Amino acid sequence: MGKILIVDDSQMNREILADMLEEYEILEAENGKEAIAMLNERANDISLILLDMIMPEMDGLEVLEIMSKNSWIDDIPVIMISSEDSPVLTHTAYELGVTEFIRRPFDSLVVQKRCHNIIALYSKQKKLVDLFADQFYEREKNSRMMIDILAHIVEFRNNECGLHVKNVQNYTEILLKALSRMTDKYQLSEADISLICNAAALHDIGKISIPDEILNKPGRLTNEEYQIMKTHSAAGARMLSDLPFHEEEPIVKYSYAIARWHHERWDGRGYPDGLKGDEIPIAAQVVSLADVYDALTADRVYKKAYTHEKSMEMILNGECGTFNPMLLQCLEETQEEMRAVKEKGSGLNTNDEHEIKAFARELLKNDALYSSDRLLRKLEYERLKNRFFEKVTGSCSFEYSVSTRMLSFSENSAAVLGLPETIMDPHSDWRLAKFFGKDKLGAIISRIRGANVDEPVVMFYFHQFITTEDGKEINSFLLSDSHEAEVPENAKCFTYKLICLTTWTAEEPPSYTGVIGKLVPYGYTYGMLKGVDDIDFKGIL
Amino acid sequence: MTLKEFYESIGSDFNAALMRMGNSEKMLDKFVKKFPNDKTAEELFRSLGEKDYQLAFRMAHTLKGVCANLGLDNLQKASSDLTEALRNEVAENTPELAEIVKTEYEKVISALGNLD
Repeated sequence: MGKILIVDDSQMNREILADMLEEYEILEAENGKEAIAMLNERANDISLILLDMIMPEMDGLEVLEIMSKNSWIDDIPVIMISSEDSPVLTHTAYELGVTEFIRRPFDSLVVQKRCHNIIALYSKQKKLVDLFADQFYEREKNSRMMIDILAHIVEFRNNECGLHVKNVQNYTEILLKALSRMTDKYQLSEADISLICNAAALHDIGKISIPDEILNKPGRLTNEEYQIMKTHSAAGARMLSDLPFHEEEPIVKYSYAIARWHHERWDGRGYPDGLKGDEIPIAAQVVSLADVYDALTADRVYKKAYTHEKSMEMILNGECGTFNPMLLQCLEETQEEMRAVKEKGSGLNTNDEHEIKAFARELLKNDALYSSDRLLRKLEYERLKNRFFEKVTGSCSFEYSVSTRMLSFSENSAAVLGLPETIMDPHSDWRLAKFFGKDKLGAIISRIRGANVDEPVVMFYFHQFITTEDGKEINSFLLSDSHEAEVPENAKCFTYKLICLTTWTAEEPPSYTGVIGKLVPYGYTYGMLKGVDDIDFKGIL
Repeated sequence: MTLKEFYESIGSDFNAALMRMGNSEKMLDKFVKKFPNDKTAEELFRSLGEKDYQLAFRMAHTLKGVCANLGLDNLQKASSDLTEALRNEVAENTPELAEIVKTEYEKVISALGNLD
């Protein structure tokens, strides 16, 4: 278990708190500065901070500011202990990410409970985020690997040293990050950047359609050869747009844009479409610049590598095409980073774990809420649908669950039958016994229990006889396998069919989990609509 | 004098103080007995003497918090008033309020001398 850090300038207060929290390991700091020093050293060790507001050297609010700058506040909950009631301070503290307040004088039970609850909550959330991040990471890793393999095949044929794709991806990432710092114009989220970098791997996929003699020709290409070479961008895009599946996936859309337009020029003199300025999608603009930088700084069959300085000079002078001025500025700003990647390669894997976790946390926050909300609405809708169909078909439905031992009737059924909506332990319920007659109830149950997983549907007929004695209606029932019944004298007869589906677990051997059932009036057959006797239940489970 | 008698003698609520310590008389006893060794009051009076009002504010604030936790009600009230007098700019009645803190502090200390 992690430790609790108590930050308070009064030794007495620290001691009292430490005594109240004797079941935890305690760290102490006398002021904000000491607390930050401890966080620097061992943030991972600390599972909760109790923070005083007014302290020498550095006060509580300053500690919070630093914690939120370093994102410590995302992982370490902070309880502020304060005798300050000022709403301004309280608001500021909450804005800076404080989890809870405890007012002085603090009560031992309150301190213990709050600390315990918050630690439990955070560790649960952390487990969830970790679990999610792990799974996400695994999936991401697999799909990245497939893209890498594909990109490598292209590269292999191209006789490139095998680093070209990785380099272009790395340069793309550096430039995109610089661009998103510089402007909001292109609305680049972390997820977009990650997608574009992945998609960048496929920028030259169209080259597999170029004959070997042209692709790997050591000397200058003739004009005719060059025209053929230029078809690789449109060809690559066509391969992607002809995909019979996944065409709506963002990664496919980005890959398409990059493959097709990474040889366009800002001044409109590129190919294949002669797009100009920001008509060229930003993903393609960035990959284009990354591609040029890598082509210049690496050896090729037709040329030796230029130095970083020479390459920069050539790009900025416009010797290798024209680019978005903002991107050129990004290139200049990040040139040391670019040079470092060129010289050392880099942490190849663009998405580090931190990013994935942040992403996972976001997803968890929004998507979980979204989907549970959606689920609720769907449930509401299902209930409405059921109510409606029951009303129009005049039928009654019920379900029974073994695990809760609860029989529940739909709203309509309960009203029609004059029974409560839920009944616990129906086998021994007196209301049901009174309604059907005790022996009938037993018979119903034993018929249902006669079902098995291969024959999960049980059906039989129910005849209701109504006789009138002294102006009072008396009900009686007859269970039968036939839809015909001998009707007692002076009685009115109504016939229903009870159809039950028993439900079973998926394990071997399956065990019985409950019943869903419907009581329908017998005797409807209207042309193309089948009567209840003709329903085929094969394969329903 | 028992702990309960001590609290009564300084006009404070023994039961409330005890409850905050999780009803542990031992714990309350331990911390109350540590109170005379706590340097906060001493620092408060010294900083007032040196007219270091910023430090005095912090010390008065800390004293108020400690007294609140130990349930030394009168001293807590007095140091709370002094804290407010020192908060933004020094109020005129600061010397009188400081005197009250001193008197209440000495009452607590002398009563503690009689504690078993």
